[in-house]
Amino acid sequence: MKNKYSYSFLILTILLLVLFCVNISLGSISIPFKTIVSSFFTATDSLSNQEYIIQNYRLPKAITAVLVGSGLGISGLLMQTLFRNPLAGPFVLGITSGASLGVALVILGSSIFGGFLATFLLTKWSLVIAASLGSFLVLLLVLIVSSKVRDTMAILIIGLMFGSITSAIVSVLSYFSSAEQLQQYIFWGFGSLGDLDWSELQIFAFLYSLGIGFSILSIKGLNTLLLGENYAKSLGLNIKQSRLLIIIATSLLAGTITAFAGPIAFIGLAIPHVTRQVFNTSNHKILLPAVFLFGAIIMLICDSIAQLPNTDYLLPINAITSLIGAPVVVWLLVRQRKMVF
Amino acid sequence: MLQNKTFLLLLLSALFFLNCKEDKGIPGKLPPTQNPPTQKVSSTIAYAEGFSISTVSDFKVLKINNPWPNAEKTYRYVLISKEEAAKRSFMKGEYDGIIITPVKRIVVTSTTHIPALELLNEEETLIGFPGTDYVSSEKTRQRIDNGNVRELGKNEGLNTEVLLSLNPDVVIGFGVDGSSKSLNTINKARIPVIYNGDWVEKSPLAKAEWIKFFGALYNKTAQADSIFKTIETDYKAAQKLAQTVSKRPTVISGAMHKDVWYLPNGTSTEAQFLKDANVDYLYADTKGTGSLALSFETVFEKAKSADLWLSPSYYPTMDALKQANTHYTQFDAFKNNAIYTFSNTTGKTGGVLYYESGLARPDLVLKDIIKICHPELLPEYTPYFFKPLK
Repeated sequence: MKNKYSYSFLILTILLLVLFCVNISLGSISIPFKTIVSSFFTATDSLSNQEYIIQNYRLPKAITAVLVGSGLGISGLLMQTLFRNPLAGPFVLGITSGASLGVALVILGSSIFGGFLATFLLTKWSLVIAASLGSFLVLLLVLIVSSKVRDTMAILIIGLMFGSITSAIVSVLSYFSSAEQLQQYIFWGFGSLGDLDWSELQIFAFLYSLGIGFSILSIKGLNTLLLGENYAKSLGLNIKQSRLLIIIATSLLAGTITAFAGPIAFIGLAIPHVTRQVFNTSNHKILLPAVFLFGAIIMLICDSIAQLPNTDYLLPINAITSLIGAPVVVWLLVRQRKMVF
Repeated sequence: MLQNKTFLLLLLSALFFLNCKEDKGIPGKLPPTQNPPTQKVSSTIAYAEGFSISTVSDFKVLKINNPWPNAEKTYRYVLISKEEAAKRSFMKGEYDGIIITPVKRIVVTSTTHIPALELLNEEETLIGFPGTDYVSSEKTRQRIDNGNVRELGKNEGLNTEVLLSLNPDVVIGFGVDGSSKSLNTINKARIPVIYNGDWVEKSPLAKAEWIKFFGALYNKTAQADSIFKTIETDYKAAQKLAQTVSKRPTVISGAMHKDVWYLPNGTSTEAQFLKDANVDYLYADTKGTGSLALSFETVFEKAKSADLWLSPSYYPTMDALKQANTHYTQFDAFKNNAIYTFSNTTGKTGGVLYYESGLARPDLVLKDIIKICHPELLPEYTPYFFKPLK
C-alpha cells in the first residue's frame, strides 16, 4: 500500500518545491536569479528594491498561495465526506457567503451604523475578524440544522439558501453605500494573495495549522463515515464528536482563508475531485496529504498566471482559479466517465 | 420613399394635434423642419467637446454630443423663452426636450453641478438633489439645512415620485450609459432631462467650461462666459508660472486595493494637472481610459523614491495608510511626510469638497498642486483642496 503511493507523493512534493521557486522568481518585474538568492541572506534594513520585493512581497505571497490552496482543498474534502456529497465545498455550504456577509457588514454597513464602525473599518483586522465570525456562524447554523435534518441533500440546499439570504442582505447594504465602500467590497471579492505582510501571515499560519491539526485528528472519523453513519455507529464511533471535529476543522480553514485572502472560488470543490481521480482511493490517510499537495500546487500555478509575468498588470486570482480549474475538472470527469467518490 | 415620408409627416401632425391639449394649447404654427433658418453659434466654446449652443431665429438649440463615453446619439434641446414658446410649437421627436428659459426650478444630480449654480447666483432655483449630504458648498448647504432642497434618494435609484411631485422645469442628469430607468421615467412624464457630460471631457478647462451650459439655461450667457474667462486666465497664468522652475519633483499618485495599485493614466485630467504644474509624474507616458491598475512590484520599483505622493486614495491618515499595507512605509514620500490628499477637506456633512468644486475650479486645483510641488512660486497662497496627510 505504501509503495503504491510513495512515488506519486515524491513527484508531487518535488513539483511543489519547483513551483514554489518558479512562483517566487516570476512577477511583474524581472529579477535576476542572483538577487533572488541574495535577498534571503540580506539584513532587512539594507535591502535593495528588488530584494525587498522578494523578501516582503513574493515570499509571503507564495506561502499564502500554499496555505490557501491546501487549506481550501482539505476543507472541501472534509465537507464532501461529511455530507457524502460531491458538490459540497466552502462555497456551496454558505461558509464563504457567511464570510462575505461579515465583510459586507463592516465595509458597507459603516455608513448605516456609522461612528465606531467607520473608524474600525480601515484596519485590516476588522475584515479578518468579521469574515471569520461570519463563516463560523453560518457553519454553526448549518450544524444545528444538520442535527435536526437527517437528509444531507437538504443540508446542502439549506447552505445554498444561506448564500441567497446573504447576497440579498449584501444588495440592501450596497444600495446605501458610497462608491468607495462598494469599490472596497468588490475588490475584496476579487480575492488576493499578495496582501499579507509577515505579521499577518504568522497569525494566518497559526490558525491554519490549528485547522490542519483538527483535520488530521478527524481522519479516522472520516474514513468510518464513508461507510455510512449507521455502520459507523455500529463500529462504536462517536458520530456527534467526529462531526463536530470535522466542522470545526472546516470552519477554521475555510473561514480564516476567506478572511485573509478573500473568497477564492473553485479550489475547495475541485481539488478533492482532481486528487481522487489521480489517486483512486477513499482512504483519508492518503487523500488528506495528497489534497494538501494538489491544492498547494494548483494555487501556485494559478497565482503565477494571475501575475501575468513581465507585465505591469495583475488579474484577480478568483477569476484564474475558476478559469483554469473548472475545465480541468470537466475534462477529468469526461475522460473517466464517472466521478470517483 | 417620398410617400412614406409624407405619410409619416401626416401621421406625426395628426398625433401632434391630438396631443395639443396636453401641450398647453400652444397654437399650431408648425416650425420649419427642413433647413432651419441660418444657425449661428452664439456662445463660443473653446475647450469642451460635449456640448454646443446655437441660435435658431428666436430660440437656442443646446446639443449634447457626448453625455457618456462612446455615446451614439446626440441630444438636442430647445431653450426658449416663455413668450416665444407661446407663439410656436415643435414637432414631436424633433427635439429631446423643450426648456423654458430662464429656468426657475431645477433638479441637479451631481455635486459637480452645484458650483455652477452658485457661480451664476442661481442656487435659489435648486429644489431637489439626490444625496444632499454630499453637498458642501456653503450657500447651497444653507438652503438644504433650511429645507429648501428636497432629498431625492440616490442617483442610481432616484425617488421618482418625489421628483415628479416637485415638477421641476428641468432635471440635469448624468449617465454612465444612458440606461437610468428613473431618468427615463421622468422624461416620459414630460419633465425634460438633460444629460450633463462634463465628466467625459478630456481636459480640466473643458470640464470647467460646462458653466456655459448652465449659463444658457439661465439666460446668463455673458456672465457664464466672463466667469469662465477668469478661470481660464488664472489657470493659464498659473501654468505659465510653473514653467519657470527648472527642478521638477517626481510624483506618484493613487494607492493599492489589495495588491493592485490604481493610479491615473498619463492622459487623464489628473495627469494634465500634474503636467501643467510642471512636475515629473512618473506615469505621464501612459495612455488609456480609466485608471492604470498595476502590480505592487512595478510601482514599488519605479516610485519608491518619488519626492511626492498625491491623493493616496481615501486614506485619511498616515496611520491608516500604514495599517492598510505595511509596504507603503517603504516609500520615500511616506518617510518624508510628503503625502497630500484632498479627501480630508470636507464640508459640514462629510462631502469631499474636491469632488464638488474641483471640476468647476481647475485654477484652484492647479495652484494647489503648484504650491505643493514648487512652494517658492506661490508664497502667499494657501492650498484649497489638498492638505498634507497627517
